[in-house]
Amino acid sequence: MSSPAKKILIVDDDHDFAEAVSSYLEAQGYVVVTAHEGREGLKLAKMERPDLIIMDIVMNERTEGFFTVQELRRTAELKAVPIFVMSSLYSKITDFGVPPDSGWLAHDEFFSKPVEMPALVEKIRQRIGGGEATA
Amino acid sequence: MSEPAERETIVVIDDDYAIRLSCRKILSKMGFRAETFEDGAQGLEGVARLKPGLAVVDLKMPGISGMEVIARVHEIDPEIVVVVITGYPTIDTAVAAMKCGAYDFLPKPFSPDELRLIVNRGLERRRLAIESRRAEVERALLKRRFVTFVSHQLQTPLVAIHQYLSVLKNLDDTDDAAAKRQQWFDRCLARTGEMQTIIKDWLTLSRIEGDRLSRQRVKVDLKRIVTDILATYEEMARRNTVSLEVRMPEDAYLVRGDRNCLIVLFDNLIVNAIKYNKPGGKVTVSGEAREGEVEISVTDTGVGIPEKYRQLLFDEFFRVEDEGSKKTAGTGLGLAISKRIVSEMGGSIEVESQVNAGSTFRVRLLAFRAQAGEEDNNRSANEFTSEEDTDRGR
Repeated sequence: MSSPAKKILIVDDDHDFAEAVSSYLEAQGYVVVTAHEGREGLKLAKMERPDLIIMDIVMNERTEGFFTVQELRRTAELKAVPIFVMSSLYSKITDFGVPPDSGWLAHDEFFSKPVEMPALVEKIRQRIGGGEATA
Repeated sequence: MSEPAERETIVVIDDDYAIRLSCRKILSKMGFRAETFEDGAQGLEGVARLKPGLAVVDLKMPGISGMEVIARVHEIDPEIVVVVITGYPTIDTAVAAMKCGAYDFLPKPFSPDELRLIVNRGLERRRLAIESRRAEVERALLKRRFVTFVSHQLQTPLVAIHQYLSVLKNLDDTDDAAAKRQQWFDRCLARTGEMQTIIKDWLTLSRIEGDRLSRQRVKVDLKRIVTDILATYEEMARRNTVSLEVRMPEDAYLVRGDRNCLIVLFDNLIVNAIKYNKPGGKVTVSGEAREGEVEISVTDTGVGIPEKYRQLLFDEFFRVEDEGSKKTAGTGLGLAISKRIVSEMGGSIEVESQVNAGSTFRVRLLAFRAQAGEEDNNRSANEFTSEEDTDRGR
């Protein structure tokens, strides 16, 4: 309770999706910052140092999310931040044919969109804690 | 034929030295790289190594039989054309060789001309086969890409709607949530509208692809079409505080084409110009009738299109994303449709743009030239536009 609220960065080019998810996470007690494309997300990540990143894969009609993950992993201070990637394009991460050196870490997660909010919060809590239930 | 640098290779497998020699001479003169082998085993090894386009195979050789050689050549590469040489040309041997996969046969003795003819024909067939296979692969790939993108285009608004609903369901009734609720309902409605537009655009595109829209070639007055379209968007323009202007000094701008397609074309361009404009902006449609050509330009005073995007603009599903168009629903199909329509009619479309100043889409079409006995069936454009949702930009 006394520790500062955990911070989550959402990178998604769909404003409505980002708005819905961030509103819910805020209601759960997280601080949320939002970016709508990869480059902006990278900049915000460096500035805000989030505890966890939610990353859309297909942005601007390409798999921009994967490039952004690779860039994040190249940044020393962001190397170990858990990243939850999300997409509506496929239901399994393997369908994307992600190369093994894409910066994918064991504590990262893949979610198929749309995301069940309670399940997402549960996973986030497992990774970084925080998220006081409002009840 | 292919580039001279990579000469086609032809392999000749025959135990008869004289045949090997003459074949090599004739084929080399034709510009091929000719390699000869005296039995099946060496020949097959050569085929595997040289990857020829065509193989000439003697049916009667010591060692591996000609029939078996044909089969094994096709195991190496099914697209190698095999021509069979036979000393005893009977229907039976010919049929047997064809069954084994031979393309044609050459009875001994044969003239240089006969060899040349059969080789050229065989290679032409191979070229066609390879070409059509390549086209098929490309088509399949394109189709898969198209389907993937359409599904993603449809998924995106669906996901947003689902996400709002799921959050609304799970969020407790706080004041904050109540305030958001109304806003989110509006967004959900806007996103369902987006899906409807995607489906409508997709259908239009497939109708044009299916050629059903574009067969008609009649005299069409673009001035009338443009004026009708602008009239249907007056309300939308007012809402966006965008003014509309027509600069078409001639009485008529006549082209020959499909009326419905032309309506779709200018409807797309005009809607875009209104949608991607700035508040207080302006849309100008100007016409110019030149020698044998009609040019219509649609100019907006919107955000403009960065240069790197201009080439991609007419691709299916391309959409410029920037601050100004963030919340504007679009499918990215409109300009692809426009381009297809224009090229169907033998015209051209191009864009000029300056970032933060605006864009001009310029359409050039062949001017109408009367043909003998032609009837003028110039009907009103309204019958088609009335089907269209005049609110599609929202």
